Amino acid sequence: MTQTPAAPGPDDGRVGVTIDGREVRVPKGTLVLDAATELGIHIPIYCAHAKLDPVAVCRMCLVHIEKFPKPQPACATTVAEGMVVTTNNAEVTKLREGVLEFLLVNHPLDCPVCDRGGECDLQDFTFRYGPGTSRFPITEKVHFAKALPLSQHIELDQERCILCWRCVRYYDEITGEKEIVLQQRGVQTLVTTFNGEQLKSNFQGNLPEVCPVGALTHREYRFRARPWELQRAPSVCPECSYGCNINADSRDFEIKRFASRDNPLVDDMWLCDRGRYSFPQWNTSERVRRPQLRPRGGEQRDVTAVEAISAAARELRAVVDQHGSGAVGVLGSALNTNEELWLLGRLARDVIGTPHIDHQLEPFEKLDPAEHALGIADIEECDALVVLGAEPEAEAPVLTLRLFKAERKRGARVHRLDHGADPSRIASAVRGAKTIGVIADETNRAHAARVAAAITGGAVRRLTVTRGVNGRGAKDMGVLPGLAAGYRSAPSGKHGREILEAAASGALRALLILGPNPALETAGDVLQRALARADSVVVIDSRPGVCAGAATVLIPGHAFFEKHGTVTNLEGRVQRIRPALPPATPTPTETRVLSSLAAELGARDWDRGEPSAVNRALRAALAPYAAAGNGGRATWVAEAVA
Amino acid sequence: MAEFPLLTKDFGTQDLHERAVYERTGGYQGLREAFKRFTPETLIAEVKTSGIRGRGGAGFPTGTKWSFLPKDVFPRYLCCNADESEPGCFKDRYLIDKSPHQLVEGVLIASYALQVNVAFIYIRGEYRDQRLLLERAVEEARAAGFIGKNILGSGFDCDVIVHGGAGAYICGEETALIDSLEGLRGQPRLKPPFPAVKGLYGQPTVVNNVETLCNLPHIVQRGGEWFKSLGTEGSTGTRLFCCSGHIKKPGTYEMLLGTPIRELLEEECGGMRTGSTLKAFQPGGGSMQVLLPEHVDLPLDMNEVQKAGSSLGAGAMIFMDQDTCLVDVSMRLVDFYQHESCGKCVPCREGTYFESQLMHKLEAGHATPAELATLSDICANMDGRCFCPLGDTATWFVMSAYKHFRDEFEAHCNAGECPVKARARERAA
Repeated sequence: MTQTPAAPGPDDGRVGVTIDGREVRVPKGTLVLDAATELGIHIPIYCAHAKLDPVAVCRMCLVHIEKFPKPQPACATTVAEGMVVTTNNAEVTKLREGVLEFLLVNHPLDCPVCDRGGECDLQDFTFRYGPGTSRFPITEKVHFAKALPLSQHIELDQERCILCWRCVRYYDEITGEKEIVLQQRGVQTLVTTFNGEQLKSNFQGNLPEVCPVGALTHREYRFRARPWELQRAPSVCPECSYGCNINADSRDFEIKRFASRDNPLVDDMWLCDRGRYSFPQWNTSERVRRPQLRPRGGEQRDVTAVEAISAAARELRAVVDQHGSGAVGVLGSALNTNEELWLLGRLARDVIGTPHIDHQLEPFEKLDPAEHALGIADIEECDALVVLGAEPEAEAPVLTLRLFKAERKRGARVHRLDHGADPSRIASAVRGAKTIGVIADETNRAHAARVAAAITGGAVRRLTVTRGVNGRGAKDMGVLPGLAAGYRSAPSGKHGREILEAAASGALRALLILGPNPALETAGDVLQRALARADSVVVIDSRPGVCAGAATVLIPGHAFFEKHGTVTNLEGRVQRIRPALPPATPTPTETRVLSSLAAELGARDWDRGEPSAVNRALRAALAPYAAAGNGGRATWVAEAVA
Repeated sequence: MAEFPLLTKDFGTQDLHERAVYERTGGYQGLREAFKRFTPETLIAEVKTSGIRGRGGAGFPTGTKWSFLPKDVFPRYLCCNADESEPGCFKDRYLIDKSPHQLVEGVLIASYALQVNVAFIYIRGEYRDQRLLLERAVEEARAAGFIGKNILGSGFDCDVIVHGGAGAYICGEETALIDSLEGLRGQPRLKPPFPAVKGLYGQPTVVNNVETLCNLPHIVQRGGEWFKSLGTEGSTGTRLFCCSGHIKKPGTYEMLLGTPIRELLEEECGGMRTGSTLKAFQPGGGSMQVLLPEHVDLPLDMNEVQKAGSSLGAGAMIFMDQDTCLVDVSMRLVDFYQHESCGKCVPCREGTYFESQLMHKLEAGHATPAELATLSDICANMDGRCFCPLGDTATWFVMSAYKHFRDEFEAHCNAGECPVKARARERAA
């Protein structure tokens, strides 16, 4: 087939290229590989990786380009105006067969016992592009170590390794830690750790994902499932407020692994080990399973959900009737979905009529949307970045990788400073930078504000690292004293610790707790006293714990991976979570429980509380959430804040 | 001809490696004249005029290579490639052994032309004696004011650093050399960017062969036009040829380019050994294609030899007689490349291993005709697919030997032993 080069187009920074007879205009500097992908033309790759710089070592992507004497690697050749590329002629077919034959010369061919089977590029491309047989005449393959533990998480099979360098480059380019190195040369080349040490990185769980073959595997996942047996639920990592996108892969009603789901605006496909290896906790069978009534001094008994909700309404109404609506304290959690928190806020303020609602223990003063103005992806646009304390990166580890990317790709300077650092000192350190990011955790919000105010001569944007997967959503939904949903001002109320103290002293007579709330359990003694003293403790929770144990009305909740909803990450990005597991209890979802409770308490206009309907109502009420949709950022203009 | 030989003219002089002796033979005059008569720009132009092509193997015009450096980007670096590792090649060792100062002078002249303030001489790890000689020469030159600040009052500063490699063939490839010099694994880099734009430590870098640089003092002193008058149009000047094999007088001989190969073989090398007749020869070192007796009348000209299907490469002439088994030679060369493959790209790393396994089977007389066909197909799958020329050249000798001596290769199939060796044994008996 002869191909004609594309006619030159307008000078718009794009170039026209013809691949397999089809034309496409792509931005200058685009790789042939990406231009082909744009046309839906598949070019097999091993060493190339969307997030890593090209090295062109595997030679799998060689294509024929007119006017070039030799085949060129599509992964490292940039397009030029009028370039004519062929990926499907006899020459390319033969060279792909040749490269695959070479790759298999010293490969152990142990696919039947390889954990990667089913998602192995070597296996897949050999089926798709490879020769059917091997001509290698000798049984004398080069042998290396198999099943070599590199750490508690990662195992290496050096024989299966095809030396694509991705793991080495991952450490060089993405984390900057350089823990994996190449040793020896020629066919003796092998991948190993530097000095034979164990891997120490907080991001080693990404290695099996960059590895295109079965060389690097998760020790926690090995031999637990075949990829085709997995149910895949696109969700969000529940470990922190960064909101990394994941696929929760389950088999036999158990989550087997968290796999990354590339969102360039958030995680950039990298997960931290804390998040990735947190999956076993969701398989625990220790759960609140049955609704129970445990009247003070009475006998504990199992009831239906409907009965429990009625009992909860009865108890709450009794307290309100006797002591006034201000005698009820309501506590949400940063692990709840936006839908649940939105209903909880309305239930507390509109139905019960109490101002005492919070989702955490500490008071939050002068909440300002500007403290989340710096988006995660914007970090890459900054010339200078100020990180106050170790907490932001300890709280949201993947932030470290974005900071390193800004350093490496843009040459940004990252200043990691103590909390005590003098704002004017910091300001002089970043002088000259045009765009500056200031990143702090929630306890250092005020300091970050002073730092941002002290910096002059550049555009400063702040990012506050919130706590809990939906700590940001809880604030947006108004599960805060004095601020209703959308940061609308509300009558002032008690914050979390004050609610517990007031309950312990008898000033508050009823508590409504929507769990699970691990932060609450750090309150210690005051929590015990509050739960013991209150006349009524209504708890909706999935895990047995201090709160569930002291409930007068206990209603089972649903775990994070058993429900639908949205959560909002630290930069305000609203993201969907989806169930990976069937519910452990047949009781209604939290949104329905809250709606029914509201109805029992006399609310008229509430619907049945399906998460999707609640989400629609929420978006109708909060314009930024309507604009954000699923995956966008909810941004609040300063005026909206009281 | 009075001007010939050029580089090796004074090699008979006792203690030429001493600076004082070298200076007595006219040494460092080229450097003095470069400062006196040339600006860096005119010096580059002069080298361009000379038409000198790189002596390292690829034969790229040196002046053109120099002109690729981007203007106004400093610092720049010069690397002298003394990582001579081509099988059959030993001219750089000879040049350094006999006259290390000639190289140092060439390095300094090139540094002046390129405005380089730090030049490196990357010398092969196995050349320990030569490294010590060079280090001593550099110290002597430094003491005499040829290296350092404000050299000879010219205002030009230059330091020369001798760096020993760790013994890898691939480090003769310019980007692998640069990686090795930076302390990384010696492996070729992805091009572009080319070293002229982004080389050592990310700065513009020129990598030149020892012999190329040794020519510079002479080009400066006698002029580019004069140099161009030597040799042929496409191959100017002289070259050193390392002659080995079944010849009477193996050694390094400087020849005017354009001279017939026959003259090199019969006059300088004294012809084939008694009882030996020429069966084949390799004109450019281990990686180049084999040529036949009919080719000895070719001139020593890069273009002419290329037309015959081979290359003068790094200037290593290996002459083989009738008892040489080309399969055996191929096997040994393939083993060399298999051992020296850096392992970076798949076709070279795995292909040379595959090739080597097949060659061993073939030489032992156990291969089938189908496996011989596989060998040729493997070579086709490697040539032009590799990351750097090492993998490509690992196939060239085998393929050319297979082409010219097909019968010999086929006779090995299922023969149970090497037929050429068996024949030689019979004759001896």
